Amino acid sequence: MSIVFDTSTPDTSEAETVIPKIELRGIMMDYDDNRVLERLSLSVDAGSFCTIVGASGCGKSTFLRLLLSQEVPTHGRILLDGEPLPPEPTPDRGIVFQRYSVFPHLTVEENLILASEFETGGFTGRLFGQSRLDARDAVAQTLEKIGLAAAKDRFPTQLSGGMQQRLAIAQALLKRPKILLLDEPFGALDPGIRVDMHDLLLGLWEEMSMTIFMVTHDISEAFKLGTRMLVFDKVRHDPDNPEAYGATITYDLPLNKNTTDKAPEPSELFASQLRN
Amino acid sequence: MRIINRKLQRREKLFMGATPFIAVLLLYVVASHIRRLDNPADKLLPSLETMGASFWRMAFVADKRSGDLLLWTDTFDSLMRLGVGMGIATTIALVVGIAIGFIPHARSSLAPFVATISLIPPITILPILFIVFGLGEASKIMLIVLGTAPVMVRSIAQVVMDIPREMIIKAETLGASVWQMIWRLVLPQTLPRLITALRLGLVPGWIFLISAEAIASTGGLGYRIFLVRRYLAMDVILPYVFWITLLAFIIDRLLLLLSKRAFPWHHLGGESL
Amino acid sequence: MTNLKTFAKALCVAGLLAVPTGMTNAVAEEKSEFSVCWSIYVGWMPWGYLADSGIMKKWADKYEISVDIVQINDYVESINQYTAGQFDGCSMTNMDALSIPAGGGVDTTALIVGDFSNGNDGIVLKDATELAAIKGQSVNLVELSVSHYLLARALDTVGLSERDLTVVNTSDADMIAAYATDDVTAVVTWNPLLSEIEAQANATKVFDSAGIPGEIIDVMMVNTETLADNPAFGKALTGAWYEVMALIASDSDEGKAARESMAVASGTDLAGYDAQLATTEMFYAPADAVTFTQSAELPNTMKFVAEFLFDKGILGEGAPSAEFVGVAFPDGSVFGDADNVKLRFDTSYMQMAADGAL
Repeated sequence: MSIVFDTSTPDTSEAETVIPKIELRGIMMDYDDNRVLERLSLSVDAGSFCTIVGASGCGKSTFLRLLLSQEVPTHGRILLDGEPLPPEPTPDRGIVFQRYSVFPHLTVEENLILASEFETGGFTGRLFGQSRLDARDAVAQTLEKIGLAAAKDRFPTQLSGGMQQRLAIAQALLKRPKILLLDEPFGALDPGIRVDMHDLLLGLWEEMSMTIFMVTHDISEAFKLGTRMLVFDKVRHDPDNPEAYGATITYDLPLNKNTTDKAPEPSELFASQLRN
Repeated sequence: MRIINRKLQRREKLFMGATPFIAVLLLYVVASHIRRLDNPADKLLPSLETMGASFWRMAFVADKRSGDLLLWTDTFDSLMRLGVGMGIATTIALVVGIAIGFIPHARSSLAPFVATISLIPPITILPILFIVFGLGEASKIMLIVLGTAPVMVRSIAQVVMDIPREMIIKAETLGASVWQMIWRLVLPQTLPRLITALRLGLVPGWIFLISAEAIASTGGLGYRIFLVRRYLAMDVILPYVFWITLLAFIIDRLLLLLSKRAFPWHHLGGESL
Repeated sequence: MTNLKTFAKALCVAGLLAVPTGMTNAVAEEKSEFSVCWSIYVGWMPWGYLADSGIMKKWADKYEISVDIVQINDYVESINQYTAGQFDGCSMTNMDALSIPAGGGVDTTALIVGDFSNGNDGIVLKDATELAAIKGQSVNLVELSVSHYLLARALDTVGLSERDLTVVNTSDADMIAAYATDDVTAVVTWNPLLSEIEAQANATKVFDSAGIPGEIIDVMMVNTETLADNPAFGKALTGAWYEVMALIASDSDEGKAARESMAVASGTDLAGYDAQLATTEMFYAPADAVTFTQSAELPNTMKFVAEFLFDKGILGEGAPSAEFVGVAFPDGSVFGDADNVKLRFDTSYMQMAADGAL
């Protein structure tokens, strides 16, 4: 527990068997009569950083919720390490939302020791005495690293947006998830702070060798951070019944950090936007 | 400047706030004076001096018969009933409210029932309460509980349901069990709103307390008011009403203070009433 | 500025509020419109009949006035309304007349002494047959009412006092439901609740108002000043009342029909109403009422009542003794403070009725 995060490299023997970290087969997702996603198949290797872009209402967040098991697909299967995905959220998948990610009734430090309290705190999920002191020691370095050591006794609403999201990311990584899901985590932040956040995130990704899925509105951010970019869009349109068809992945771009310096224009990626 | 954009200074605010009170007081003094011109012993609108003297007598002169200081024994009796009643109602609201708000099975089985119960005016089933709980303290307390708990349950269930789904998911990804989520997430998020629900519940709570004491009792603020109403002793009733209002106000402010002390995070957002 | 305006406005509204009631109270003048109130009780049902049958109108027309007879559902409220000046007269007991209007400074005259309770109020014990068994029990009753007075008088007869038991103030509306609970072992109440409770298997009536005859008196009380300034008001009320009394007392079909309509109005049938009448000593003939009111027992009764009220602190905080409020009797004698007479028993109008002078 003395290290900040588990930085051990993934088991290389597993990589050789080429089981993808996440595999989606023929996913279709309906909300009532409203089709959100359709014909979605995807295979993502461990250690990928997938950025997900697309117009509003194109099922990006739904896609994340499926990976989180917050929703169950209407059709199709999702495999994690070759096994069916657990039917409810579990610690092997961490999540950072744009809002409501941290607990407003807990201080910064309490937000961070919560995971170990859940682990060993029993029925009430609370640690006392020495074990609580140990847990606080264990997160001291994390606090330092995300620059919140001085603010550890403050409540989240007393923090800036950037500080809140740093806390949210640190909290999401406490259980050392192999998959980290980010739903527009920097959408509400100022551009300057975003750059800092990008550095933090990339550093953690390399350090912990996670697989990351990140939804963003910002295409340049998607290019900058990702190793692979997934573009969600509706390919079929029924003008009389706009809800009849769902979105799917229209572009699946491997990103090479060395060659892709310039982000493409949105019009090149979103066919449906052009038609309108 | 438009009236909605005018900022009031502190003194102006204080004055504006005091005006309706002063107006009512003046109205009373004048009306009472006019009535007492006709009948100096008028019981309907006694003078402030008479009321002051009666209040003093109730508070500081031992009752001829029992030797008690009636105001304090009445206050103690009433606060005891209100305290126990609201305590039970609050506990029910917390337990059932969290169950309904958090556990789908509890919601399906209890929510329609509680919604129905909350619509029954408890006073209408009073004879049943008498048979089940007797004519003593239990039925008075139950009247308060029945009058306040169902609405408080519904309000707490809504508070729990309004906890952002994101937080619950987040807790799950941190490995929390259902009990742990209740203790560490749902309960702390609900407690400040429980105090709000309690503050709102106290409004019908007082009404049911006074009604309960009118029915069958040997002491209490409502008992005294309904007793002396038999001889139109407004000189006792009006100070008692003022006293009840004052007690209710103090309890409300204390609860607000408690909420601010115990749940500072809840009050960071802005000013609350 | 705002302050002044508010003040002025408050004064205006206060004036508006107080003036109408003040006018009703300012009775030292002749007037032609009167109103009296009454509430449901066996001995007062004739007031409702009197209004509905047109007998009241007939007598009011005779004296060229109008009299409005208003039924109020809550007995205490009706007395309070009268005391506050909303009515010129109200039916109530001798005890409540002393404690509420007279105690509240409203000079009140007993115009028509209608009846006294002769078993209409009683004490019922559960699983006990002797009054003495009431010792140590909780007794449910409407505190400070005639029930309370009856209990105090009953306890005297067996050498007990109120300190030997616990009085639990219980609303009359809840009395029957209260008796059904296990906690309640003793109640004091009046008809029709009394007969309802007495009918239950484990109930025994151990004492009733027949044990203190003539002490719980039902009277039409009117404002003394109004009566003094407007004798026609007293004459019309008294004349109408005794016309109805004669009718009820008669064995004629009209008399039966009148009793029947009163029975329905009080929520029972003729048999039920007759049963209640049996425990009520009605003064059908004005001469009987005059004799009763002039009797030497009445001052004694009022002394008991005044002492009871003083003991309970009802005569007002300034009352130094039970004699604080004076009660005047037909022979001119006064019980209590002769300088503060607020309750007057006056037989002159009943005497006129007896003499056929109305």
